[in-house]
Amino acid sequence: MSPEGAVRPSIPAAVPASTDPPAFPFRRDDPLHPPAALRRAPDDRRPLRVTLWHGGRAWVVTGHDQVRAILADDARFSGRFAQPGLPTVTAARVAVDQDERAFVGMDNPDHDRYRRMFTQEFSVPRIRALQPRIERIADELLDAMVAAGPPQDLVQAFAVGFPSLVMSALIGSPYEDHRFIIECAAARHGLTQTPETARLKARELAAYFRRLIDAKAQRPGDDLVTRILNEHVLPGRLTRDEFAEIGAMLLRAGHDTTANMIGMGTLLVLRDDRLRARLAGDADAMRPAVDELLRFVSPVQFSPRRVAKVDVEVGGETVRAGDGLFLSLGAANRDPTVFDRPDRIDSGRETVRHVAFGFGIHQCLGQTLARVELQVAFTAILRRLPSLRLAVPFEEIRFKDDMQIFGVHALPVAW
Amino acid sequence: MRLEVDEHRCVGAGQCAWIAPGLFTQRPGDGVVVLLRPEPSGDEAPYAREAIEACPARAIRMTDTPAPPSAASTEETPR
Repeated sequence: MSPEGAVRPSIPAAVPASTDPPAFPFRRDDPLHPPAALRRAPDDRRPLRVTLWHGGRAWVVTGHDQVRAILADDARFSGRFAQPGLPTVTAARVAVDQDERAFVGMDNPDHDRYRRMFTQEFSVPRIRALQPRIERIADELLDAMVAAGPPQDLVQAFAVGFPSLVMSALIGSPYEDHRFIIECAAARHGLTQTPETARLKARELAAYFRRLIDAKAQRPGDDLVTRILNEHVLPGRLTRDEFAEIGAMLLRAGHDTTANMIGMGTLLVLRDDRLRARLAGDADAMRPAVDELLRFVSPVQFSPRRVAKVDVEVGGETVRAGDGLFLSLGAANRDPTVFDRPDRIDSGRETVRHVAFGFGIHQCLGQTLARVELQVAFTAILRRLPSLRLAVPFEEIRFKDDMQIFGVHALPVAW
Repeated sequence: MRLEVDEHRCVGAGQCAWIAPGLFTQRPGDGVVVLLRPEPSGDEAPYAREAIEACPARAIRMTDTPAPPSAASTEETPR
């Protein structure tokens, strides 16, 4: 394999010669790329052995084919939360794993039974029908941003509010509550919070959703909460408490990830004149570009996770029954055996083989919504603000090295 | 060339309906895959293959065998 595709010159040795495996998570040496240790030579398929915060060990799987195979292999790997061996990046994560009651933390058959109650809300036909409303929301936010005038922080002026307004329209939660929802999501997705804070915020969000369910039972609306109430809660298939736990998961996922992708994606487009010209000049270019940006950014850094149920050989290493594994989506999405010149953004790539949304039964339920939101957001930004530029040098941008979902804390822009 | 879907494996991620909306959609109620047309045209074949590759639950298959004459095609779900 030719190394010429690598923008950055060196692919360092994965594991230093030491008896103790390296500490995980790794720090990024470049905010636009996964940590060096996760960037593997094409012929190196071994998963990495790492040391966790509590001194325990886990594997980090980096190959695209390996990540997909393990995530699709429910027979030999379990993703059930809070089981012995499931790896964590913080003590706070242990706490929220223990409290998780939504299907994100379940194996089958339970997972599918719950997930299927919610899939139609995020189905392609449903999201397509919602698209005009999503476009209006983007336009209104940009109107307000233009009216306020430059410079603005794109994260606060647009990226955070946009998915919040969309989720508010879809779920039926009052928009005014979005700061609270984001605070709860951040308390779970951080790397520095205490277990007590993480647990408290998780409970507060579930309690919030429980109150929302009760309010919709009194005053129904044209929204997800009302529909799930009528179709699944009232017939007795789903309890209100179960719905509250799942609802909290949907709120967290729907607010935080898309907002981070908008911030990172806009930054990357602003740094790439060719990509920008292509997106501005060709409406059909946006769809593959969004998947390429998802591949390149891969904002979910330390999920998904699995525990081996039996001894399994992975890339020449023996993973023992009970061992924990991180499946590195970011590393898999830079696998040079799958993606030609993986460190380059190439909006002409024609496949959606990237794993930014995961793989297997837990693959992102909201991925169609996310794709449509990102297409709409980038299209609207480039159309309304054709002269958009960074208002600070790139070096001053603060990246979310302190969070499990990667992104920018702020993106100062002018136009 | 003939497509088959496994409704029991499907997790409703919607990749197939996103990639090849002429061939797949999602059922109201539970979002499970509905095969609109089991035999893709030549133009559609690459999209069908991409949908198979992308399906996270590996619920879509392509076979070389023609439709079995008796099994009046479970795929052709009434809409």
